[in-house]
Amino acid sequence: MNKNLENVLADKLAEASIHGTIQNLQPLTGGASKEIWKFEVKSDSRSEKFILRKGSGIEGPMAIKTSDEAKIQKTVISLGAPVPEIISVSSVEEPLGDAYIMKFVEGESIARKVLRDKEYKEALKGLAFQCGESIAKIHQADINNFSFLPKKTVSEQLTDLYQTYVSFDQPSPVFEYTHLWLKKQNFGELSDALVHGDFRLGNIIVDENGLQSIIDWELAHIGNPLQDLGWICGNSWRFGNTDKVVGGFGDLEDLLEGYNSVSEYKVDKEIVKAWQVFGTFRWGVICLIQASAHLSGSVNSVEKAAIGRRVSETELDIVDLLFLGGS
Amino acid sequence: MIFDKPSSVELLQAVNFFLNEKIKTEVPPHLAFKLRIVENVLNIVSREIELGSQLSQDLMTDLKKLMESDAANLQDLSLLIKEGKIDIEDQELKNVLIKLSKNKIAVDNPNYSTFKKLVE
Repeated sequence: MNKNLENVLADKLAEASIHGTIQNLQPLTGGASKEIWKFEVKSDSRSEKFILRKGSGIEGPMAIKTSDEAKIQKTVISLGAPVPEIISVSSVEEPLGDAYIMKFVEGESIARKVLRDKEYKEALKGLAFQCGESIAKIHQADINNFSFLPKKTVSEQLTDLYQTYVSFDQPSPVFEYTHLWLKKQNFGELSDALVHGDFRLGNIIVDENGLQSIIDWELAHIGNPLQDLGWICGNSWRFGNTDKVVGGFGDLEDLLEGYNSVSEYKVDKEIVKAWQVFGTFRWGVICLIQASAHLSGSVNSVEKAAIGRRVSETELDIVDLLFLGGS
Repeated sequence: MIFDKPSSVELLQAVNFFLNEKIKTEVPPHLAFKLRIVENVLNIVSREIELGSQLSQDLMTDLKKLMESDAANLQDLSLLIKEGKIDIEDQELKNVLIKLSKNKIAVDNPNYSTFKKLVE
């Protein structure tokens, strides 16, 4: 089966003038909706590692085309945000399908390893600042480059999320309460910007020197950029380190200091809470979407089935934030 | 129950042991990773069998009091909130939402960090 993929890959690489034998093609444990393969190309003189990222055809309704992710990466790399270099892009009609090939970046993306392993301990101290800087650089991108991306105001996004929740016919008093609460919040009057949409451990590559690369752009869109700051502060992305507000490794002050060192718009700590609740609600609805792919029979996946029982994590986090003094 | 031993929970535990002790070491890493998810799913089912009705009844008692109705249910509470027919600053409402969330996570994931923080 992989033989076929190897051949298709070799053809695609040849277009980019990369020739050699494909070796060690292996699937990586990645996101739930993309195929990610690691492989090496060996020629006479050397061996180089690459990553293939490929749409599976079962992406959720919020995901953009895989080949469009590559377009974004090409733009933000020029702004100084660390992303893997794109080698070749394949459109859905080509034999490789909706996919792209990028250079392999050494380091670790698995959140629990980054948080646990000794070799990253020093790097974690500066990581919140680095994340803030990189998020701000992403937000500086000229949005005219991204006409293919969906553009949504906060209130449009909120309506979308709420309607999606309603469509699954699983009434949640906590989500109804959250929706009312969010409608009354101030999310900041900012110009539209490129939003990564899923910036957190798991979607960044870290090594002993800190942030190396930002990956997984499938939830990118145009909108209020502060969403990225609230998202990484959600407890869903602290991987058990609940006292470290930023991604389970850092403090909010450091994230904002990094952000404000690049951004012209200076973000105040107070505004982040509304975005944290927004992000947690958004993750809850994404869990519902993932589970529904299994429940509707469109895929049979134990991962997607299991994620339906993670909605309650987001409900508890929201209740903690709103009623119990959680941060 | 008319069924013999092992109980449903004991059967699930046996399956979990088999997957973790006998299979996990035999499969490639990306499948071993998925086995962890399978293990979690079986544990959810075990906890729901053991604790589910007690946790549901516990919540329903408070919900009936809040809604002053024996026919109270989560769907109706959702509707009351949505339509603004219940005071959202009411502490009794907040307490029901807190208990609902805690009781659900007690089955879905009692190791969840926020739950552990709140029950300590």
